[in-house]
Amino acid sequence: MKKSTRKGFRLNRRGFLKATGAMGLATAAGGFPGLVKAQAKEILIGSIQPVTGPLAVIGQGQRRAAELAVDMINSKGGIRSMGGAKLKLLLGDSQTQTEVGRSEADRLIKEGAKIIVGAFESGTSMAIATLCEQRETPFLIDVAALDDITKKGYKYTFRIFPTSTAFAQRGVAFIKEILAEKRLSPKRAVVSYVGDAFGKTQGAFFIKHFKESGLGIDIVEEISYPLGVPDLSAEVAKIKAAKPDLLFPICRPGDSTILTRELYKQRVELMGIISPGSPGWYEPSVIKDLDKLVLYVMDNVPWIFPESPVYKEANDLMLKRHQAYLETNNGYAFTAILVVADALERAKSTDAGKIVAALRSTNFKDHPMVGDAIKFDENGDNLGATTAMVQVLPDADPLKRVKVVLPKRFAQADYVFPAPQLWERG
Amino acid sequence: MNYALLLQLTVQGILLGGIYGLIAVGLSLIFGVMGVINFAHGPMMVMGMYVSYWILVVLGIDPYLSLVLVAACIFVLGYLVQFLVVNRILDFPEAMQVLPLVAIGLILENSVLLLWGPDPRSPKTLLGLAAVPLGSATIDVSRLVAFCLAVAITGSILLFLKKTDLGKAIRAAADNRTGALLIGIKVDRINNFSFAMGAATTGAAGALLIPLIPLSPHLGHDFTLTAFVVVILGGMGNLLGALVGGLILGVAESLSTLFVPATMKQVVSFSLLVVIMLWRPQGLLGGRR
Repeated sequence: MKKSTRKGFRLNRRGFLKATGAMGLATAAGGFPGLVKAQAKEILIGSIQPVTGPLAVIGQGQRRAAELAVDMINSKGGIRSMGGAKLKLLLGDSQTQTEVGRSEADRLIKEGAKIIVGAFESGTSMAIATLCEQRETPFLIDVAALDDITKKGYKYTFRIFPTSTAFAQRGVAFIKEILAEKRLSPKRAVVSYVGDAFGKTQGAFFIKHFKESGLGIDIVEEISYPLGVPDLSAEVAKIKAAKPDLLFPICRPGDSTILTRELYKQRVELMGIISPGSPGWYEPSVIKDLDKLVLYVMDNVPWIFPESPVYKEANDLMLKRHQAYLETNNGYAFTAILVVADALERAKSTDAGKIVAALRSTNFKDHPMVGDAIKFDENGDNLGATTAMVQVLPDADPLKRVKVVLPKRFAQADYVFPAPQLWERG
Repeated sequence: MNYALLLQLTVQGILLGGIYGLIAVGLSLIFGVMGVINFAHGPMMVMGMYVSYWILVVLGIDPYLSLVLVAACIFVLGYLVQFLVVNRILDFPEAMQVLPLVAIGLILENSVLLLWGPDPRSPKTLLGLAAVPLGSATIDVSRLVAFCLAVAITGSILLFLKKTDLGKAIRAAADNRTGALLIGIKVDRINNFSFAMGAATTGAAGALLIPLIPLSPHLGHDFTLTAFVVVILGGMGNLLGALVGGLILGVAESLSTLFVPATMKQVVSFSLLVVIMLWRPQGLLGGRR
């Protein structure tokens, strides 16, 4: 039987390979010039977050915010000083593990990332900072508070998040401001903290700075309990016995509800509950579950600035795309990309040295967070970073109850202090 | 010594101990009848908590009122686990019995995670915030109710085992399996029933804990361990022992707060376990009765 006697085009394996091979050759030789040019104008940014593992919820939120920021910048014409070059995220997942985070950063640098952004956890960020110093690649930390990361004299590492020290100092300063304004002089305080790495560090830093502050308030009891504790009745009995005026709790979302309910049930009299900076007080689920009991709690946290135009734009997009709000963590992830774009715009190049130089002279105001213009000091820390004192205040819409009350120039409402006792709220 | 604090801690310890007792009674029952340690016990309790939570959120029925319904659901779950898995591994060496039950625990834990997500939840309940003063101390009403119900449930299980035919058959099967088979007791069915009953009690305990503990999928394993310690304290398979052991552990944990930070609570309970093992390995009230 003869082959190809029939007229017409019949595709067999060899024919197909020949045809595609020829097409490939033609492309490689002459090619599509437009396409090649467009690719050259793409700037790769490595983004590393804990997208899986115990912190997955946070990591995924950060990744989404970073993608959102990239899309926003690209839709507004990309990096203009480089002919409208588009940003592109290379995604990495630290799996909430230090080593994985480091190797992911290594992979992204090999794949051509001009700058790395991440990484939420302090340990992972430290590892990536060291790697980036070796690879001479700029690294911008979005969230991670540990002081030491920027204390090593690294040239390539920058951070927009407040340090642990800044955290504690701001917290103490806010407390001072409140007590001075209300002319109150409490004498006794209790610090409670959850016994994981975060709680211990946060607790120790706060206690250290609080004692140095000269406020004249005794910390009469320090109470720690394990993460995921099922019951705090004994601890609250101890708090009650210490007769404090103020309670400084460092919580996670689970234990803040048990703690507050126990305080209510055991009728612990307090001037107020002021968290030195911890989750467990502003999450929608906590506000819904605790309702009136969480009112008037203050928390010293890095926070979004809802009055900023950038916030409104980003939050609307976030709601539309992911049915999620812009909050502290994804807000900082979002801001980091804006800072990178700003630096690239001024560097006019993807050369590492030029990007670092541009980052050094950053003066970036249009971000959605509470804080001044982002400027970096010689360590790479953000001089404009600050926490905000937020307070849960009555509002018909539970999602709008968390309000910035300090610093005054960012305040959305006046704070209420001393707070009415937990059982006197109708 | 601060007596007000001491009183408060003791009262809280006793009340918490009652619930520990109820969780442990189920474990003890299962061990007493089949000689199997139910490592899925804590996750079953968590399942009970979530079922109860779900009923509260969807139908608005308070955990105290849905208690029987929750117990029934977990009874069915326990029956299935026994019927499908445990019956087939009863004659295996002990080390091999552990793994399937741990696996069931993991499956339950992750099903809860899949169905309800990882966030802790702490819904408002009827008596959730009620408290009554007792001298200088305050008694948490939901804790008191949980304690009373726990004691009542344990008491009725004991009565059931002593007085009814089915209860007597369960005790016969626990005492001498071959003998029970010889006199015509359907030991397989007895096994299914006792496992299901053990599961149901821990499910009920879960419902009672709703006002006290924020729900989280990962609570289970800690409670398996706590129940295990309690059972060993009281004597393996001894139901009254489980209640007594629960009370002792509750008070010990609560009072330990006076001397050590709460992060060390588990050290206290496990030290207690080691001491009992050395001093009275059969448990305070003796095993398997």
